[in-house]
Amino acid sequence: MEDINLVMMKPAEPKKEIRVPQAVKGVLAELGGEKEEILAFSSTDMNEKGEYADGYLVLTEKAMYVLKSEADKNAVHSFKGFLNRKDRDTEKERDWKCTRYPVEEIKKMTVEPQVACGILVVEFSDGIERTVAVFSNLYRKEVHVLARSFANTFEKREESEGEEKGEGKEKKGKERGGRGHGGPEGGNDDDIYCPICGMMYPKPERKICPRCMDRKSIFIRTFGYFKPYACKMVIMMLIYVAVAALNLVWPYLNGTVLYDHILEKNNDFLLSVGIKNGDFILALLLVILTMFAARLTLQILTIIQGVFTAHIVSYVVRDIKKDIFSSMGKLSISFFRNRQTGGLMTRVLRDADRVTGFFIDGFPYIFIHSFSLIATVVMMFSINWKMTLCALVLMPVAFVFMFFMRPKMWTAFGHRHRAERTLNSRVNDNLTGARVVKSFGQEAKEEERFVSVNKRLKDSEMSIVSVSNFLYFTFNFTHSVSSIVIWILGVYMILVNRSMTLGVLITFIGYVDQLNGPMNFASRVFRWWSDSMNAAQRMFEIIDAIPEIREDDEPLGMDKPRGEIELKNVTFGYEINRPVLKDLNLKIPAGSMLGIVGRSGAGKTTLVNLISRMYDPQEGSILIDGVDIKKLSFRDLRRNVAMVSQETYIFMGTVEENIAYANPAATKEEIIRAAKLASAHEFILRMPDGYNTIVGSSGRELSGGERQRISIARAILANPKILILDEATASVDTETERAIQAAINYLIKNRTTISIAHRLSTLRDADFLCVIDNGEITERGTHKELEALHGTYYKLMELQTKALALKE
Amino acid sequence: MEEKEFDLAEMEKETEEMLKINLLDEKKAKFTRTEGGFLSLKTEEKDYPRVLAVRMFPFTDPDRYISIRTTGEHSKEIGIIEDMKSLSKEVREIIEEQLSLRYFTPVITGINSIKDEYGYAYFDVMTDRGRCRFAIHMGGSDVVHLTETRIIITDIDENRFEIPDILQLTPAERKKLDLFL
Repeated sequence: MEDINLVMMKPAEPKKEIRVPQAVKGVLAELGGEKEEILAFSSTDMNEKGEYADGYLVLTEKAMYVLKSEADKNAVHSFKGFLNRKDRDTEKERDWKCTRYPVEEIKKMTVEPQVACGILVVEFSDGIERTVAVFSNLYRKEVHVLARSFANTFEKREESEGEEKGEGKEKKGKERGGRGHGGPEGGNDDDIYCPICGMMYPKPERKICPRCMDRKSIFIRTFGYFKPYACKMVIMMLIYVAVAALNLVWPYLNGTVLYDHILEKNNDFLLSVGIKNGDFILALLLVILTMFAARLTLQILTIIQGVFTAHIVSYVVRDIKKDIFSSMGKLSISFFRNRQTGGLMTRVLRDADRVTGFFIDGFPYIFIHSFSLIATVVMMFSINWKMTLCALVLMPVAFVFMFFMRPKMWTAFGHRHRAERTLNSRVNDNLTGARVVKSFGQEAKEEERFVSVNKRLKDSEMSIVSVSNFLYFTFNFTHSVSSIVIWILGVYMILVNRSMTLGVLITFIGYVDQLNGPMNFASRVFRWWSDSMNAAQRMFEIIDAIPEIREDDEPLGMDKPRGEIELKNVTFGYEINRPVLKDLNLKIPAGSMLGIVGRSGAGKTTLVNLISRMYDPQEGSILIDGVDIKKLSFRDLRRNVAMVSQETYIFMGTVEENIAYANPAATKEEIIRAAKLASAHEFILRMPDGYNTIVGSSGRELSGGERQRISIARAILANPKILILDEATASVDTETERAIQAAINYLIKNRTTISIAHRLSTLRDADFLCVIDNGEITERGTHKELEALHGTYYKLMELQTKALALKE
Repeated sequence: MEEKEFDLAEMEKETEEMLKINLLDEKKAKFTRTEGGFLSLKTEEKDYPRVLAVRMFPFTDPDRYISIRTTGEHSKEIGIIEDMKSLSKEVREIIEEQLSLRYFTPVITGINSIKDEYGYAYFDVMTDRGRCRFAIHMGGSDVVHLTETRIIITDIDENRFEIPDILQLTPAERKKLDLFL
């Protein structure tokens, strides 16, 4: 047994030693099991009473050991995300109670999933079923691996031994390694824990620790999107500097030069700038001209900057949207299965805009405002340090406020995103289901539901506004108070002290006003920053998501495929402990047609989804022409396997484009031929615009049968070596189906075809058939053979013919 | 293999059985606890060595409409207990024991902290089964409002936690939960 395991296992997976805590080893030794080879090990965390209590399960070659401890109400129970490597490795000081069950006494081991936990049920040789372990979903996978390990090592052995004695059928179930290992993700691997905090990654295949990923790195990554526009960004920076410099000159011209030098008729000043003595009119003209030029330049620069901003923003938003969209495209079907379309749309459409917000309205100005803030303060100090201190004393207060408002702001943005997502989903839901809403007359109820979500969005927007208004108010209030204080102080200095001139005061007040810009900015920049980082975080979540189905690093091509399909011991379930397909073996010779029948939910669609690699099997492999499909390049696999599924989808566009979807280079003739073969040609021509008719969500509505026929035409034109028809003709009438059937007969030449159907007449031409029930192939053979079996197939056949006969 | 002929009458009888709502009471059905701690049932027609009890309305009506089903892949309904209160104390206890594990959901009694980090929210809470720390995914619908005040939270591994009434939390705790309200 052991030897077979080693030989058949992939060479890339060396035999892993199963690490077991010291305490467990001790307990095992007490019971004399320390020498036994450990096949599988798992932690458990509950007891039968539904309390949290630590425990272990150890499966060795001779027995199963169940370790239990008393529930500890004071213990902290950590689930995934909090589970720490240290927690797992440190020995739990418990009073372990251990029970040993010899494997001979165990007949069967089953994991029974509950709503939010699981139990391991063992059927003993005396026929009594007992719960031996209870665990939360955290250890679901681990216990499952243990149970499978038991099944593969002990149950299968007996089975295949029996078979060998009996009919000598091919051995099955031996290639799977009969071992499982600890760790909720099935491994003692250290790399599922974050190296910084030691916590397990929430998604072990994606090595990102949300707690240790700081926002700075989000910022830097987002900044990367602006790199291609670095040149323009630099020009913008220069414009900002110029604007700041001009702003700095303004109060000086306006105050000191105009009031103190020219209006005070200061001759020395004139001489210093090289104007003839006493020519104050010229000086005045010059000052006005300079002021005018400064204003004009300022305006022009602002316009240029506006144009640049618009330019960069549009490009960056485009790039980001493209990235999110293409990342989504790479993700596996399972990603879309558990997310709302509306929510994903929010991400593509709105988040990209939001991300750029801070980088355009905020980031460049940080420098500029810091620059002008420092410059202004320096100028102010050089004029009068006492007054400057008075002006600045309130500023720190405002910044402290800002600091404390930070988490509130962050939450507010998160809130809005959730509200927005719900609203989008609701609208999406409602519009897609418009027909149902109308037919049951529930418009008013839908409106009510919409109104409540809409109100939530409004409320969340309002809370953002109120937080940012509060900040704005704080900053402005500080500023106004400072201004008033300066005026009072200045007037006092001019009138009483005579230590200041009017011009200097006006210059000074000008500078205080200049502070307004940076202050206002500071009040708003945080809002932009939160908004932007909040959106960026969501964006990278998608971009970083690792598709579950990945192409091999060195994919193999398929040049001239023959189309032979083989399934070897395939086990698959959408959830690990609920297998939909169980240990399936099937060989479809090249060029033949296989018909699959079975009740709904039996796993038929799942089976063909695996062949087209929408999902990967958890165990076993699928081979095309003897090559594992995991090794094939996506391009060749998809090109050679086409599926017409029960869910037809018609894209926005013309009929022609829809048929040529998989093969845009097809000629008109080929498209017409494909449509004819799919019996679609006639109804297409009945539409006024023929092949140019716009169909899809915004266009003409097609009936279910019409859509199916277009999908069939699409698959025909793709000209795949392997054609999968999943209830492809379920929505067409019997007459049309006959026609399509004829086409399919023509089609299946030189092709491997898998056809799933409830209507047995659809499978008339199948070379052989199989009946799938409960994830297993229960019957297989030709029509005649299955009929002779008098099993499910026979029953179905009788049902369909008798039901028809009754109606006549 | 005698019954080879296709029997339409048999099928129709089966269908009829499926359509019927078979209410169980203690006169008709005898529930006992098996040696292994499971539930077994004896009706007038048949003996069931092990049956499952499933709530039809686990959130809104946990004590009414309990479906009693056969085990295994083709689990079928044997009958319905309309109201647990109508059962004797002993029987109720046996069934409730089965239900409590099936619908195991710790009740959150207090919130220590909730942190929102890069697409996940980290919860540190007090429950009736002790302190629990778990993480949920922010992108999906992991926090479900059953009513205005009742919340079910599902963690990354699909463990469930319940807050039966958010108004029972302190204002400070509610504030921590604010993002999900």
